[in-house]
Amino acid sequence: MALLELRNVEAYYGPIAALKGVTLDVNEGAIVAVLGANGAGKTTLLKAISGALDPEAGTIRFAGAEIQKRAAWDVAAAGIAHVPEGREVFRHLSVADNLKMGGFLRRDAGGLAADLERIFGYFPALRARVREMAGNLSGGEQQMVAIGRALMARPRLILLDEPSLGLSPLLVQEIYRIIGRVKADSGVAMLLVEQNAKMALDVADSGYVLEGGRIVLAGSAERLRSNEDVKEFYLGIRDAGVRGVRRWKRRKQWR
Amino acid sequence: MALTDARIPAGCDTVAKLFRHTAAARGERVALMHKDYGVWQATTWRGYAEQARHTGLGLAALGLRPREVAAILAETIPEWLFTDMGIMGTGAVSVGLYPTSSREQVEYIVNDSGARFLFVEDEEQLDKVLERRERMPRLERVVVYDTTGLKRFSDPLVMSYDELLALGRAEAERAPGAWDALVDATRPEDRAILVYTSGTTGPPKGAVLSHANLVFAIDRWGEMAPTHDGDDTLAFLPLCHMAERMMTAMRPLAYGGVVHFAESPETVLENLREVSPTVFFAVPRIWEKLHSLVTMTLQDATPLQRALYGRASAVAHAVADRRMAGKPVPFGLRALYALAELAILRNTKRLLGLSRARLIGSGAAPISQDIMRWYVALGIPIFEIYGQTECSGIATFYRPEEFALGTVGKPLSGTEVRLSAEQEIVIRGPHVFQGYLNKPERTAEAIRDGWLHTGDVGAFTPEGRLKIVDRKSDIIITSGGKNITPSEIENKLKFSPYVTDAIVIGDRRNYLTALVMIDQENVTKYAQTNRIPFTDYASLTRAPAIKDLVWAEVEKVNKQLANVERIRKVHLLDILLTAEDEEMTPTLKLRRKFVNEKYKKEIEAMYGG
Repeated sequence: MALLELRNVEAYYGPIAALKGVTLDVNEGAIVAVLGANGAGKTTLLKAISGALDPEAGTIRFAGAEIQKRAAWDVAAAGIAHVPEGREVFRHLSVADNLKMGGFLRRDAGGLAADLERIFGYFPALRARVREMAGNLSGGEQQMVAIGRALMARPRLILLDEPSLGLSPLLVQEIYRIIGRVKADSGVAMLLVEQNAKMALDVADSGYVLEGGRIVLAGSAERLRSNEDVKEFYLGIRDAGVRGVRRWKRRKQWR
Repeated sequence: MALTDARIPAGCDTVAKLFRHTAAARGERVALMHKDYGVWQATTWRGYAEQARHTGLGLAALGLRPREVAAILAETIPEWLFTDMGIMGTGAVSVGLYPTSSREQVEYIVNDSGARFLFVEDEEQLDKVLERRERMPRLERVVVYDTTGLKRFSDPLVMSYDELLALGRAEAERAPGAWDALVDATRPEDRAILVYTSGTTGPPKGAVLSHANLVFAIDRWGEMAPTHDGDDTLAFLPLCHMAERMMTAMRPLAYGGVVHFAESPETVLENLREVSPTVFFAVPRIWEKLHSLVTMTLQDATPLQRALYGRASAVAHAVADRRMAGKPVPFGLRALYALAELAILRNTKRLLGLSRARLIGSGAAPISQDIMRWYVALGIPIFEIYGQTECSGIATFYRPEEFALGTVGKPLSGTEVRLSAEQEIVIRGPHVFQGYLNKPERTAEAIRDGWLHTGDVGAFTPEGRLKIVDRKSDIIITSGGKNITPSEIENKLKFSPYVTDAIVIGDRRNYLTALVMIDQENVTKYAQTNRIPFTDYASLTRAPAIKDLVWAEVEKVNKQLANVERIRKVHLLDILLTAEDEEMTPTLKLRRKFVNEKYKKEIEAMYGG
């Protein structure tokens, strides 16, 4: 049994179907990437899991229990931390307070202090700015705060929504290096939604391609990386052809 | 019947002359409609003729001589027709290539036909040619219709269509009588077009059709499916396919009407609703798709709507059955039918884009009789054509009012259709082709003692109507010695909204099995409604509940079949095949030979291998 199991999850914004029956699994300790263009339903997918949005139909099981009807705080308590798109740090709170907010459901003061240390270990840049108002931090630092805040909850699963969004290439690499390290250290599972397909597939164990609210391709990261459609449409690898430039795109087949 | 008299004007004994005559007679009437950036644009007959003339003169200026060959590799777009008529006007031979052709296929046809000029749609098609240019030594020039993305590209082999038209325009000004002289010089016995038919074994064969063949077929179109200037049609099949070539390029040369071009093969259903043609010819795949669209729409309807549809459909079928049997329809039933039309049937037709249709046709492949009956019940006159490329696309037909469902009707007047000693359908008449290019031995196999051997096995009804049994080579003989015609069973399977296509297997086997391609849209919808988990297409085909769904559909068909004809096992194809795959024809039908070869392992598994 997988840690997280989605079965035929559908979600709507009014009459518009954003998820049209999504089925996916995240195994304990694994990183699973969900690739997709703008509007494919990636963010909706994470919101449906974390309880920020109620799915219209389908089941979401986490560690064996159905969670699709639960409130967001209840889902968080069950062990799922959501790092939303665009960081969403508490801008007027200090970095320290932001991180502590992540552990608001915990009662073990000693553990909290140790975890704070661990997070500074991952993100040394934050230690220096611990008293700073989070809103004054750079985008990359805010992303670190958001991930750190999620880790403070000691989750079994982190939902990461486009951690690379708006960051410089160097910072993207940095963030992904840390994501890899966190996984190796703590064995926390991650469901990673990304437009930066290359970064995501490099760190992920398996992945899904979401298009128009439906999964069109599923498989190991290796399988996805070698898929011709993923290559052309997500990794930007294209055979330049005889003329050295090729503007037309192949037809997607997803097989 | 006045419309069908004197269909071909005097002196128009070639396609080129007929085109010139018709274009001049119709002048400012609209001939073609296509979409530019989402807006419909009209081309008049005068404009059509001018484009064709400039194309032809441009080619002549570049050195194309009568009886030489030029080829077209493009989707169904107006330029295809301009070029086709331009090539034929110079007395040269026009050959079409499927836009889904691989570069190897392009190379083969260019070389086999000896084409000196090749027209390609765009950058994508051009790349196919450039990748194989060294292997096509006789190809002198490639003309590109849409040069988007090629601004900075220059190559002596390649020119734009606009450049060619400019060349032709200059030529027209320099020598005003040149075009008429070329057209006048065309002769009925000359080759007009080459149509490559995909051989199931061996390379494609180029069927040679003369001007006389085509002019005869155009003439006979009028007795088969009379159309006129008020008609709107929709073109969407590849134009190199004989059915669309006749319907869209040839038929209007005698009967006029406005041809609308679908935006792309993917938007056919939307365009159908938008254009709402009065006459629509399509392949069975489209008729099946439209039927399943209604079936699936009903599943989303309220119970009341469903009940109403069920009632209306029952009334409509009762009326259709009586009409087909030639029995009078009692007043009560007629009144109910009027009600059903008002309440349900009218909207159904509107949903399908057939609300204005006065004539619809099916051909190019066998179609399920249940599907045909359904359209008759809707009150849309449907006709069916039987033919093949080698007889200019038409051999027999029946008109809607004849209700000859289950048969393909009677031969065209002036032609003969018979059965050989082996029950093979053989055809003789002015529409029979000249032979296959460069393949005398294949020609000798096809035309024996003056009769075209179709490769189809048939039978005649007592009224003299032809029934198609199956392709001679497709007939299954089970190990028990029973003769079984797979296409009949396959058509029954395809009636299900969940089945797009199927191949029945069982030659020299103990029992029958089938490979099934599911309808992605409808099966996905079913899975969603019934909470059947799946990720991608392959996992959908492997879901036990989906296998059960398809099996239930198979069982429905099995009930209508004799014991030996029953399907014992099915395998669902786990990749979604497209026209670009060799397993599929450009008219979106599975190719038996390729599929059998490719899925050998899966087939053996169904026989315990």
